Amino acid sequence: MSDWTRGSRRDANNSEIENSSYGPSRWSNCRKRGIDGSLRADRGVDGGEKDLHADSSSRHSDKRPESFTTPESTGPVSRCSRQADWGSQVEDDEMRRGVHRDMQRRRILGAEVTQRERKTSSGSSGSCDSKEGDNMETDEAVLLRRQKQINYGKNTLAYDRYIKEVPKHMRQSGVHPKTPNKFRKYSRRSWDQQIKLWKVKLHTWDPPAEDGQDNVLDNIEELGLGDVMDIELDFPNLSDSQNAPTTHILSLDGEDCLGTPVKVQKTESTVEPEMSSS
Amino acid sequence: MENPTDDYKIQSFDLDTQMLLKTALKDPSSVNLVKVSNVIVDQSLKDQVFSKEAGRICYTIVQAEAKQNNGSVFRRNMLNRLQQEFKNREEMRGRSLQEWVCYVTFICNVFDYLKVNNMPMVALVHPVYDCLIRLAKPDALMNEEEVRKNVDCLVLQLHRIGEQLEKVNSPRMDELFFLLRDGFLLQEGLSSMARLLLLEILEFRAGGWLLSGTAHKYYYSEIAD
Repeated sequence: MSDWTRGSRRDANNSEIENSSYGPSRWSNCRKRGIDGSLRADRGVDGGEKDLHADSSSRHSDKRPESFTTPESTGPVSRCSRQADWGSQVEDDEMRRGVHRDMQRRRILGAEVTQRERKTSSGSSGSCDSKEGDNMETDEAVLLRRQKQINYGKNTLAYDRYIKEVPKHMRQSGVHPKTPNKFRKYSRRSWDQQIKLWKVKLHTWDPPAEDGQDNVLDNIEELGLGDVMDIELDFPNLSDSQNAPTTHILSLDGEDCLGTPVKVQKTESTVEPEMSSS
Repeated sequence: MENPTDDYKIQSFDLDTQMLLKTALKDPSSVNLVKVSNVIVDQSLKDQVFSKEAGRICYTIVQAEAKQNNGSVFRRNMLNRLQQEFKNREEMRGRSLQEWVCYVTFICNVFDYLKVNNMPMVALVHPVYDCLIRLAKPDALMNEEEVRKNVDCLVLQLHRIGEQLEKVNSPRMDELFFLLRDGFLLQEGLSSMARLLLLEILEFRAGGWLLSGTAHKYYYSEIAD
């Protein structure tokens, strides 16, 4: 298949991309790194921090409807399950090993940790019976996917600023965003929702944008989550099997009009909006 | 007083580039790491001396960047450049045998130095094998000039990374050694030097990637007059 060509096309483009510039997306000033992994802002590097999403999007935009944009990219991106370029393969490998180490650590420290967590658990992380040490999530594919989602959230300027401003011991549950625990058993929908809300909460620590556009409330409306924010994240009985599109959440609170229902539907049904970029 | 950066063999670069590399080693986020990785790859393809040790400077920059800001720009770009060259390797080999040999030296060196959590980079295993096997194919052993370059490179790399390679994929090492045996036995007109190198590497692997004391004496001792 065209795995190799795709990789090389991207590589061949790198040298051109290095020196061209794409308009930053609305969200790109919040992202710590561009798609090529280089740090954004606070640096006087030439050609280092360009958002390469635009390149991918120009190649793949014919396949996706316009409403399919995630908050963190300038446009649709390719969603191959396994990146063919060596850079990505090695990074994925590294992440996989990291997750395995985490698993080992969790297994060894498990019982002790869940005791502590029971005392300081925050309302938003959901109450599941997985707080017992022997009921943790062990499926590697699930853990890797979750870790990737967590990494996207941590790879933001907002997160950097947050952890500098609020040391762990000063965090108040409910007030300060807490990274969802990838080892707990949650339904797919519950987990995705926790991640989403966690990231929205992190936006409070976004660096001030020059154009004054970056307003947390604006962001919430953009995601269409305005009415969803108040919902308790507690879906212990939902099955995890597929990611069926769901308008269920919208009808729960009795209101059926959001400003951008199409967008919300799409984001709800999106499997891995961020998995696609690498 | 010794300048530690001499270890990286960067003297072949012009002074500006040497400065760039030195800065990359100490303060990676202050330089354009894409450019740095390109500079290193380009030079590795031209300068055989540099290609033999370039993995080391790559390793240090990767570590420095990870430590400084948890980034991996340099590694990602360097690997993707390597991949790009790998994809065009036949054309490279046809164009310049010297460049091809430098490339193989470099990618093996990177495989040697750049580990992920102390494990070899899985993504590089097959490409490295592909390269080494290419060096042992009959058409690489045909004329004197080719043989010398190819076999020299091949045995050097096997001495350095053969054991690691075999550990991560033994069948492909078998595949390579089938070719080496064939080359030793069947290749017509192979120079005695080439046969010597091949025999030594056959014995080296057979000994578990070690030469026995007597074998070492045979191959490496000065011949007493």
